[in-house]
Amino acid sequence: MDELVVRISHCVENGKINKASPYPNAMKGMEGADELTKQALDAAIGPDAILQACNDGMQRIGERFSRNEVFVPELLMAAKAMHAVMAHLEPFFKSGTVKVKGKFVLGTVAGDLHDIGKNLVRMVVEGNGWEVIDLGVDVKSTKFLDAIKNTPGCIVGLSALLTTTMVNMSKTVQEIKIQFPATKVIVGGAPLTMDAALKMGADGYSHDPQGAVTFLDKISAA
Amino acid sequence: MEIVIPQVEREKDTFEVKINFRDLTVNKNDIELALGYTEGAIPVHFEEMVDDVLSQLPSHCEIQAGYRLLDVNKSDDRNDGLFVGDKFFKLHKIVTSQLRKSEKAALFISTIGPAMETWAKTLSTEGDIALSYLVDIVASVTEEQTTDVLQDHIEKQMQMRGLKITNRYSPGYCDWSVSEQHLLFSFFPVNFCGIVLTDSALMVPIKSVSGIIGVGTEVKKVNYTCDTCGMKDCTYRAYRRGKTKRTN
Repeated sequence: MDELVVRISHCVENGKINKASPYPNAMKGMEGADELTKQALDAAIGPDAILQACNDGMQRIGERFSRNEVFVPELLMAAKAMHAVMAHLEPFFKSGTVKVKGKFVLGTVAGDLHDIGKNLVRMVVEGNGWEVIDLGVDVKSTKFLDAIKNTPGCIVGLSALLTTTMVNMSKTVQEIKIQFPATKVIVGGAPLTMDAALKMGADGYSHDPQGAVTFLDKISAA
Repeated sequence: MEIVIPQVEREKDTFEVKINFRDLTVNKNDIELALGYTEGAIPVHFEEMVDDVLSQLPSHCEIQAGYRLLDVNKSDDRNDGLFVGDKFFKLHKIVTSQLRKSEKAALFISTIGPAMETWAKTLSTEGDIALSYLVDIVASVTEEQTTDVLQDHIEKQMQMRGLKITNRYSPGYCDWSVSEQHLLFSFFPVNFCGIVLTDSALMVPIKSVSGIIGVGTEVKKVNYTCDTCGMKDCTYRAYRRGKTKRTN
């Protein structure tokens, strides 16, 4: 693998955005995801290879997050470094050289204003080549249904933090499944388990952003 | 010297408590623990960011707090909650059992105002997502500590009447439905403490806490039963964990 690609992946994993960024301490003064991506494109490295480097970096930080070796701030810095890469890849998505894998409608369910988990999922999923339609927080079922209607073929992600809003999540899943039975739904959030997700009729569950990517990629490959 | 916080009786048994930012002791360790790090393990970069947020915290807090004292009416044939005043609160059995011996209940609300959430939103919009997150966590810890101060104040007020208090419990936690916020807020004057509810029962400003504290001669505070709850990543659990570590 090209050395530049390896370095981009390393920058994404460690949240090194650009040379000016003081984070992380150990990489102070070094080139970051921004400069290296530009160099890689100038060196005729394909956008697909760079996108894959991004995915690999995000996957590694996601795994470290799952093992409680790093926490949300590190994950957010990684997502920010990934966005620095994505800014360079944007023209390739627009021209169709790099195709988006699909559309993902995402929101925190009604009765819940927590958005950190949802935002993390959004950033990681976007960085893995998906278009995300973010409906925000405290989203009623009707808003999800409208978004599905307007986004044919989309996959839906529901987030919740409060135990008590799982009731609203369950209701939303059921309403989606009644009106759009073919639409795949993944749920996530602190109070959930795979068992609870399946009971409410969801197709998938993930306790971290990387798991959401794995689910989406699996559906898209099927 | 013991801090004495003034209170004003706005309506019968409804008090505004004048908590000042100086009454709080926002502890950096609490914030590190709420972020997930063990004590001293936060990376230097984030520690500096937390320091910066803490330095700006006083100018971003507009604390308001208050409570209302009501009679608790026992109903022998119901064990799924309790009557406070003339209204029935449907509570999880863990909470009900803690409050069962209460003669009165203090329904409370507190907020640090909207400035911290506005700051966090602005940072997020500008793309500074990590700092935005840290501002949000500092705000949550500050609001919990505001509620700690309010709870201590209520405890002292009740001690003067020869009464004790229970732990505090909030809608949205411990399986108490967040929709019961509407019931809880119906006991307060409109816009009390500058807090309003959305249709889906969420408080605005977001950094607000509401809840219930049992009061009586036979009640007591107990260790929180977080271990029996499925919400492993609950902010409150992280906050309690920090407090327990600090006081041990």
